[in-house]
Amino acid sequence: MSRAGTIEWAAPGMPVLTSVGDRLAASGSIRGLRVGVSLVLEPKTANLLLALRASGAEVIVHGSASSTNEAVARALEERGLAVFAERGATRQRRAELAHAFLATGPDVLVDDGAAMIRLAHRDVPSLVETMLGATEETTSGVRPLRAMHAEGALRIPVIAVNDARTKYLFDNVYGTGQSCVMALLDLTNLQLAGRIVVVVGYGWVGKGVAHHAAALGARVVVSEIDPVRALQAHHDGHRVRSLTDAAEDAEVVFAATGLAGAVTAEQVERMPDGVLLCTAGGGAFELPMEYLRSLGSGQAVRPGVTEYRLSSGARALVVADGECLNCAEAEGNPIEVMDLSLSLQALAVDYLATEARGWPPGVYPVSAKLDALVAEARLRHEGASLEPVTAALDAAMRSW
Amino acid sequence: MLRMTDPSWPADPDLGEAQIAWVRRHSPVLDTFVRQLLGDGALQGVRVAVVVHLEAKTAFLATVLADAGADVVVAGSNPRTTRAEVVAALAARGLRVVSSPGEDRDRWQRELLEAADTVPDYLVDDGAELTTLMARHRPELFARLRGVSEQTTTGTTRLRAMQRAGRLPFPALTANDARCKHLFDNGYGTGQTALQAVLRLTNRQLAGAAVAVVGYGFVGRGVARYARAMNARTMVAEIDPVRALEAHMDGHTVGPLARLLPEATIVITATGGINALAGRDIDSLRDGAVLANVGHHDREIDVDGLAARSDSWEELRPGIRSYRLGERRVHLLAGGALVNIAGGSGHPVEIMDLSFAVQGAGVHHLATTDVEPGVHKIPAELDDAIAAAKLASLGLAVDVRRQDQADDVADWLPGMCQP
Repeated sequence: MSRAGTIEWAAPGMPVLTSVGDRLAASGSIRGLRVGVSLVLEPKTANLLLALRASGAEVIVHGSASSTNEAVARALEERGLAVFAERGATRQRRAELAHAFLATGPDVLVDDGAAMIRLAHRDVPSLVETMLGATEETTSGVRPLRAMHAEGALRIPVIAVNDARTKYLFDNVYGTGQSCVMALLDLTNLQLAGRIVVVVGYGWVGKGVAHHAAALGARVVVSEIDPVRALQAHHDGHRVRSLTDAAEDAEVVFAATGLAGAVTAEQVERMPDGVLLCTAGGGAFELPMEYLRSLGSGQAVRPGVTEYRLSSGARALVVADGECLNCAEAEGNPIEVMDLSLSLQALAVDYLATEARGWPPGVYPVSAKLDALVAEARLRHEGASLEPVTAALDAAMRSW
Repeated sequence: MLRMTDPSWPADPDLGEAQIAWVRRHSPVLDTFVRQLLGDGALQGVRVAVVVHLEAKTAFLATVLADAGADVVVAGSNPRTTRAEVVAALAARGLRVVSSPGEDRDRWQRELLEAADTVPDYLVDDGAELTTLMARHRPELFARLRGVSEQTTTGTTRLRAMQRAGRLPFPALTANDARCKHLFDNGYGTGQTALQAVLRLTNRQLAGAAVAVVGYGFVGRGVARYARAMNARTMVAEIDPVRALEAHMDGHTVGPLARLLPEATIVITATGGINALAGRDIDSLRDGAVLANVGHHDREIDVDGLAARSDSWEELRPGIRSYRLGERRVHLLAGGALVNIAGGSGHPVEIMDLSFAVQGAGVHHLATTDVEPGVHKIPAELDDAIAAAKLASLGLAVDVRRQDQADDVADWLPGMCQP
């Protein structure tokens, strides 16, 4: 297999991205634009990068140390892209790579978790002054950007790609849900049938994890701080309990909040021997990793699984060092949902270069028009057909 | 941090040992119930050849038998599934292992004969591989065998054929016929891991996928159920009308392959026979279809026929061979071999704990009971005891039939059975 094999495998599964790429290439709207992309560096992202470049953009790539697919990173270098990504890079090296990436002076940042946007605001204010704007992929990134904007600290317009319906309704639920649950099974060679799986957080990712775990026979318990979401979990057939209560008989815990400290040391201490701890969507910051490491060095019990001995005497097994499971130990989200999400990213870059050029700082939604365009393109590919809006239906919708 | 190894020598016995320790942790039935059963010394000094896919779960079964005093020799039942690090770990534990990893079928067969030449009393067999090989090539040692415990449906079929031909001079237990095996291994184990392997190899999604399952036995049912639970549109092709009706009532779309295949984005064969997907079926496949097999035979998908109809093919990425048929491309996973084993990590540990408990209890039963030659199921009491041990390990209590309920059944059954 060639290094690029996985990139080529993904390409035909991304028909929407292909059509968006063709559209941008034809319009010339992003020709000459310097686009810095900092997403999970894997085969689907590679197809976005190649599509942007084919549309005339100058593409610069950054990838995190924990999620970068090394073969893809090197394959992109071979194709002439500037890549700032090394899997397993040390803390210091990570900082060097991130700063070198920003030093290339991108006009637009395509970001994941708002890591680069925040870093640029803190360390490279001159870049922020000249940028057209940025796009953000995740819930975890949009939240701090809104907080920044509320405090008047945000200096650029940001398109919240995550908040598009064709993103969070699909990517977060079906993509992250399926791939994180399956990555756990691949890593552990265990079953979910009959196991008690505690899902912390019932946002879109938590909902997807809970659904897929239940589909595989798990008994799902959801812990939530939002009463409406908790009620929704109840209606979806899951048991709802505080994490402190649920901890006592948890066999698998999926943190799916995107929030630091979602699972506390005290809660982990209540968990039974052999509990598996992992993160879906967010990162290790959701788990009490510092506490676990303070207990003594973890012992690798199999690839991707580290065992810590709790004060209670029980053993807690952390999967993928607590990093988002599907990216750290699998191939990320499925191709189909990334076709939607990454097509939106390409359209958002185009949007910043055209209609949104010169907009004041703020967090902006993807327009409903682009959402519809992406959904319709995918439906066409699936051979589905839509009911046309007749004059009578149109009138009915407007009547009051 | 432990790292995944490629299956080549020299292998790291520590990695194999870690894998076996992981299996032990999730195998409460083998580790308690079966150990207790074997604690009577019945296997002391008895030679047992274990011939199953040679990975960590099999290694743990072999260890439990050896710890009970059996003289164990281990061989792989398929040359492609032998794990080097597990072989190294077993050797480090002092067990005799005759198999080495690799694809060489001739060498594999020589190694199996080496296992035969150790003059085993009992075989724990998979697909009746060693049983049939000994019948052919080591008739005098075959005649000395005291019994066989067989893992699979396919092996059971072979053993029954031997019995019909008057060629089975010893008792053979069919683990597959135990409820603790086929209800769980075939349905839940294969169902889950087949989909796991398909998704891992392809990075595709089940939500919205059109999945055609060929065959609706226990395996097909498991695959279809999990796929639908993960939001696939499921279709079932089945030749048995009762099973087809069951598939319909389970909510799957039922129809002939010629009608289902043009829609299916993922096709999974689960018939246990050969050529479940062959000839003109291939012409019905849609562009981009992914083909996988979870039935016993590598010949369930007619790979040669597929190649013959194709203009060209290439290995697109690990585990995926893409065939070009005119304007269409179809993708075959794991070369048409069992996708969850050849393209994944086999059954979940908990499932094999049950299946191997049936095997371990089966060997004990053969060694302690005077069983007549021929093919038999393991006794229902053993089957029940294994399930009870698993439930106990989960801390699950169940109700017991009260005397009045038992009396009621006893009273009515004779009456109901009379014309």
